[in-house]
Amino acid sequence: MQRATTLRHSETATESAMPNDALSRAKQGDQTAFAELVREHQSMVYSMARNFVRDGAIAEDLAQEVFLHLFRNLAAIETPAHLKFWLRKVTGHRCIDFSRRQKSQGGKVSVSLDEAPEPVSIFDTPDSQPDWMLRSTIRRFVAALPEKPRLVVTLRYQEDLDPMEIAEVLEMPLNTVKSHLRRSLAILKEKVTRSLGSEF
Amino acid sequence: MKHFDDELKNALRREEPSADFTARLLARVAQEKEGGREPVKEGWSERTSEKQNGATNWLRKLGAVFTLPQMNWVTAGAVATLLIASVIGVNRYRQHQFELQRQAEIAAEAEGQRAKEQVMFAMRIASAKLNVAQKKVKNTLQRDDDQQAVHQQN
Repeated sequence: MQRATTLRHSETATESAMPNDALSRAKQGDQTAFAELVREHQSMVYSMARNFVRDGAIAEDLAQEVFLHLFRNLAAIETPAHLKFWLRKVTGHRCIDFSRRQKSQGGKVSVSLDEAPEPVSIFDTPDSQPDWMLRSTIRRFVAALPEKPRLVVTLRYQEDLDPMEIAEVLEMPLNTVKSHLRRSLAILKEKVTRSLGSEF
Repeated sequence: MKHFDDELKNALRREEPSADFTARLLARVAQEKEGGREPVKEGWSERTSEKQNGATNWLRKLGAVFTLPQMNWVTAGAVATLLIASVIGVNRYRQHQFELQRQAEIAAEAEGQRAKEQVMFAMRIASAKLNVAQKKVKNTLQRDDDQQAVHQQN
């Protein structure tokens, strides 16, 4: 708990020092300020969900749930750094909840490595074909990782968090995070190399 | 490895949701603020909450029937009859269950008695055989003693 507090208050010195006008106004019920907060963090929340579920519509649904939950719990948010920490944590929990609910309903959670087609989206418009292929392949393999390693990899490479920060967000021992990262990277590298050739 | 890290960062980089994401969210927030229920939307979370709300809605409707002003004596009578019928029904059912249990106990007792008789019969046979064996042993010993006495006299 002590460490979590340390982290969320010291994420970056500049961030904590930033004026938190929008946050305090949103806490007082200002809807425009809340919209500002949403716009500021929507790409983070949506992308975490999208990299986890690999479906834009479901990711948006999950992100909306996270922000609605934030709206109901604004009073508990202390600083902008705490807000970021809280959003990452809640998004992670929602993603895992979703995945488990899907499993219990007999739905398909992990995309099979062989049969999963890459959904066409405006984000995947190829700049150059090899880059697009590589990106698409990596995302496909990341989405096929088990739940927790997938979240660890997403927080490491999407959010650029170090293992200690990931351990705080996911409430996981540091060594577990490191081991998830090491193993996931080895798996991903091996699969990407096998899929795209040894020149990678 | 560094190269692969960069590729991973590039593949998993942040993306923006659809343009109307904030507007849709704010609409839901506004609806919640007004005290209404969340709008029903086609999505897994909404569908789940609808299912969860189903049972409570049904109970609420049932409760509302009893608070209606037009609830008159006829309704009250019907409810009372229903209750009495339920009590009688439950009582009959319990009697029936009791009777079944009693019959089962009698059957079990008769079965036990039969088993006991069989055991006694078996024991009687064993006892008779034992008596025969005992008599034979006794006779043999008596004969040995007689022979020994004859030898000693000679």
